[in-house]
Amino acid sequence: MGPQHPSTHGVLRLKLLLDGETVKNVEPVIGYLHRNAEKICELDYYCDSLIYFDRMDYVAAMNMEIGYLEAAEKLLAIEPPERVKWIRVVMAELNRLASHLVWAGAFGLDLGMLTPFFYFFEEREKILNLFTEICGSRQETNYMSIGGVYQDFNDKIIFKIKQFLKQFPKKMEEAYSLFIKNDIFISRTKGIGILEPEVALSYGVTGPMLRASGVPYDVRKDAPYLVYDKLNFDVPISRGKDVLARCIVRFEEMRQSVKILNQALDKIPDGPYFNPKAKKSLMIRLRGEGDVYARTESPKGEFGVHLVGDGTVKPYRLHVRSPAFKNLSILPYLSRDVLIADMVAISGSIDLVFGEVDR
Amino acid sequence: MNILTRIATILGFLGHFPAYALAYLIETLVVIIFGTVAVAGMVYLFRKYMARVQIRVGPNRVGKFGILQVMADGLKLFQKESIMPSGRDDLPYKMAPVIVFIGLMMGFVFIPYGPLVWFGNLTVTHSDVSLVILFALIAIMPIGEILSGITSNNKYAMLGALRGVAKDISFEVPMMLSILSVVIMASANVSNPLDINGIVQAQSIPFIILEPLGFLIFFISMTARASFSPFDMGESDSELVTGNTTEYSGLRFGMFYLGLFGTIFLGSMIISSIYLGGYYGPFVGYFGFIWLMVKTLVLVIISLTVWLTMPRVRIDKFVTFGWKVLLPLSFLQLVVAGFLTLGGIS
Repeated sequence: MGPQHPSTHGVLRLKLLLDGETVKNVEPVIGYLHRNAEKICELDYYCDSLIYFDRMDYVAAMNMEIGYLEAAEKLLAIEPPERVKWIRVVMAELNRLASHLVWAGAFGLDLGMLTPFFYFFEEREKILNLFTEICGSRQETNYMSIGGVYQDFNDKIIFKIKQFLKQFPKKMEEAYSLFIKNDIFISRTKGIGILEPEVALSYGVTGPMLRASGVPYDVRKDAPYLVYDKLNFDVPISRGKDVLARCIVRFEEMRQSVKILNQALDKIPDGPYFNPKAKKSLMIRLRGEGDVYARTESPKGEFGVHLVGDGTVKPYRLHVRSPAFKNLSILPYLSRDVLIADMVAISGSIDLVFGEVDR
Repeated sequence: MNILTRIATILGFLGHFPAYALAYLIETLVVIIFGTVAVAGMVYLFRKYMARVQIRVGPNRVGKFGILQVMADGLKLFQKESIMPSGRDDLPYKMAPVIVFIGLMMGFVFIPYGPLVWFGNLTVTHSDVSLVILFALIAIMPIGEILSGITSNNKYAMLGALRGVAKDISFEVPMMLSILSVVIMASANVSNPLDINGIVQAQSIPFIILEPLGFLIFFISMTARASFSPFDMGESDSELVTGNTTEYSGLRFGMFYLGLFGTIFLGSMIISSIYLGGYYGPFVGYFGFIWLMVKTLVLVIISLTVWLTMPRVRIDKFVTFGWKVLLPLSFLQLVVAGFLTLGGIS
């Protein structure tokens, strides 16, 4: 199956061993989208690496940028102003919504539902339009920079985001009911791909996958970065452990993101939108020394960046802990002795983005 | 006076037998052309309707409102090079789409179309066993699909064909049983209950009211026969690429494509004939055909809505559903129909 196959998101290739319709063994083959991003980042100035992070998880570029900046700002000892932190939270949650919407649409397609795809993508398109207005680009936004953001928020854009948020929950619930109120959907997802919490932890699975197995682990809550400790939100978990639980958890996360956004938009303080120590003319002279690891919660799971600096203007080593890659490693375990149709549902529920798996 | 006699009278100078033979041929041709055009129209309707459901615009470039889009697509399929897989079993591979297409088009000949203004009765064939022939023809179509799967030397096509077989055997028995209960009820009123025309005439009350269960079973079976979502496991595009049609291209693919939509259309016509009273309605002598088309269109729209909102059923669940739910229910319907007929309600 794959790498050119309608059900494999991006360029996943799966070697399947079948017995009739039953899958006996799955061997994922990855690397078709490998771009050597880590090494390229090591050859670039600290501020230039961001564009490669945009292209890692290309449906959640903001979260990737934040993941890198958390590490880079720690290494370079540059604290972003308070306003920037709030703006980053807003952007991260908007992009989390967009990413989950992409997932929901693609998951529907995996199960043979064509229509919800368009409902979800319509909403996502609205988010991307907001991004275009804020940063001039839809997906690979390159919006943030070390110690700041590229452009400041103004009242107009905050108003527009609020307007979007006002209509979004209704639209989302409408499309969600196409999923959850459908008996066939339930029968396709319930009890499929059961992932026990111990197994999930031992494979290093994080994000909605882990939370659907009943482990309330969320970096935003457990090791707050930016201003997540000042925001009131829940970490949704489910004890279902199956594909349906992952679906429910992701939709609940979207509701929580809306909650976070509503709080954050009201609380954005005034102030500068970049740190003067890292203004444009100084940016390529930033030097860092030391060894830092920063983790953030991307829509896929825990996104970690390990950055080692040797006192020059370029990082000595950069390593990315990719959540989608770790989550993919569970696929062979989950799809032993299931039907092909279930395997497609399971691989759909993992939420794979190959820019991130292959880097 | 029906249309056949009209044509035969016009051709009367040829003598009795040749005139009738030619009239038959002409009308069959007309019906087949009607079938193709109707199916093409349905493809257009489907695309427009799907676009409406999915908040899109749909075809709107070729011709007014994109009406000619289907024709343009058809022409494109004609022009395309037919790429064939190596290692195929040549003759059955090429025959498969033809079997599907011919099985479908022959089906159109046996539908009682009813009268239309001065054309008279449009029905082509008047056979006492047209129901049996029709379902025999419908049963030919899966053979084409299975052949296409096993001869195209492709793993997805093979799996699709296997699923197709599993699916077919699990819904055809309930389908036939629900038909049988219709025949039982019709036999109380008319002398030719195995003729679809007879069944239509037997419906002083439409059979959907007397046999709602049978209607549901038949509708589900027709959905499975046409193999669109939720019963499109055969060509499930997210699992098996496109199942048995994976290795087909050009005109051959077009035949399968028309086969899919044609089955929906034909199935809707059969359902409206058997359960909804066919061409009966006010002014049946003038507008019978229109009534049939209206009922068919309603059913087509219902089918398309189902198609667009449902996810795919897993094949093993459908087989279980067919044998453990549909089959007992269709037996129940059979018994109920028997009692109703004995009690004189029909």
